[in-house]
Amino acid sequence: MFERLLMIVASRWFRLVLVVLLVLSLQTTLFSEIRPWGYSVQLMAIFVAAAGAVHDVRTAAIVGMVTGLMYDAVLATPLGVSGLVLGVIGAATALALQPFRDPTWWLRMLIIGLAAALSELLMPFTKALVGLGGWLDVRVLAAMAVTFIGALVFAAPFVPISRWTLREKVLLGR
Amino acid sequence: MAQNKTQLTRAVVLLALASVFFITLDMSNSSATSRVRRVFDTVFYPVENIARVVTRPVSGAWKAFRNYDDVVAENDRLKEQVALQEGTAVAAAASVRLSQELLALNGLPTLAGINSVTAQVIGETPTNFSQTIEINQGADSGIKVGMPVLNAAGLIGKVTEVFNNRALVMLISDPDYALSVKVVTKSNRTPVTLPPLITEDAPTVDSVLETADTSTTSSTTTTTTTILGFTPSATTVPADVVASAGSNISVPSVSQLAVRETGILEGRGPGTRPVVRFLDATTRAGAIEVGAPIVSAGGSRSLAPPDVVIGVVSRVVERLGTAGPLLEIELVADLSNLSFLRVLLYQPITESGR
Repeated sequence: MFERLLMIVASRWFRLVLVVLLVLSLQTTLFSEIRPWGYSVQLMAIFVAAAGAVHDVRTAAIVGMVTGLMYDAVLATPLGVSGLVLGVIGAATALALQPFRDPTWWLRMLIIGLAAALSELLMPFTKALVGLGGWLDVRVLAAMAVTFIGALVFAAPFVPISRWTLREKVLLGR
Repeated sequence: MAQNKTQLTRAVVLLALASVFFITLDMSNSSATSRVRRVFDTVFYPVENIARVVTRPVSGAWKAFRNYDDVVAENDRLKEQVALQEGTAVAAAASVRLSQELLALNGLPTLAGINSVTAQVIGETPTNFSQTIEINQGADSGIKVGMPVLNAAGLIGKVTEVFNNRALVMLISDPDYALSVKVVTKSNRTPVTLPPLITEDAPTVDSVLETADTSTTSSTTTTTTTILGFTPSATTVPADVVASAGSNISVPSVSQLAVRETGILEGRGPGTRPVVRFLDATTRAGAIEVGAPIVSAGGSRSLAPPDVVIGVVSRVVERLGTAGPLLEIELVADLSNLSFLRVLLYQPITESGR
């Protein structure tokens, strides 16, 4: 029983939840107040894109889904909207980098930035699909630009963090 | 390669199905999703609080860097405004009291009869696609989904999500927000002036108020008020009651009283003024002027009690056909600078059970 619990705690998915909790807390506190030109940088999307940049499509999609569901749980949006958007973003980032055998650091950052910015377009679109319209306007472009610039800054720390978080095996003192 | 593709397709289909399942569940107001949110909030709240404390110096530095000049300019402007308003505030308070007494006398609902909870804003929306704020009071204080939220100036939104000791408030500028409102306009008709009436005892507004508790009539004939800065424009007492001996009085006919057009107020996102639509195209569209006050309409299915101040008309857009005019509204509450709020413990019927 104890060993099983230890295995769960040591699993990469449990680690993912803990790391996303920290990123989410930064998103809802610091980055909801620091709003360059009135727009908040979407750390959650950047984290998912960073995970997509260093993992396969399936893992990235699951990371996006889990991250999005946790984000939805603290927002007033219907549960699953951010899950869907970030799941697609994670998968899209991994797919975009698939043709490159060993992508350079700047290509990775660029793809992460573009994918995170894309999430700002997909979010109002998905909200409109579920009947919460009114957000698809020119503001989306500005939000995309801010998140793109933010991604260029935060991709560098998020890539190693997501790599560590989703590491397959962890040594348990053996 | 083919196996990878199958796995990828399966993952994407599962992802989409799971999301659609959650969205459907949540949009049908399932209690399961509410429970999930509450459980997650219990776990997340301490983490968020720690993050808030740790990051406060950084956000403080950012605000100081960005807003210093604006704050200094605003402070100067506010000092001037406070000096201007000090005198009129007393008169306004007296007018409000008088109005509430009149409404109470007639058995009409007033805001004074609704309990409220004072809350402080502790967070803003973390996304670019919702207009919500977080307040530090929740279900423990009696707050429920749908309750209207006000600041000192007027209505700012409604509660959309409630946790034990915090709640999310959707602002009036969110495109998902809609509320039935009244546009209070002036009538263009001139008042009817009556000759002096030869009667002895005639009650007036003041005398009626003074004697309300004892249910007797008074013989006072004065129609003036001693409230500083308050000048009644006309005696707004029904014609069959007013009969001030020996003086000409203006008796407002029904058509002269304030006209109330009803419509639906809708938010249009940050930085864009909300609009009122669905006004009756056939009646008195021309009578709606810039500056006309907008208040909540009230009613059994409304999201807010009647006569909560919302804003004033800033632009009237006439439209052809039966669409009726479109009104742009300048809100009285400054949504970009919210601190202390009042949650009215009034849950609309449409939101009950949530």
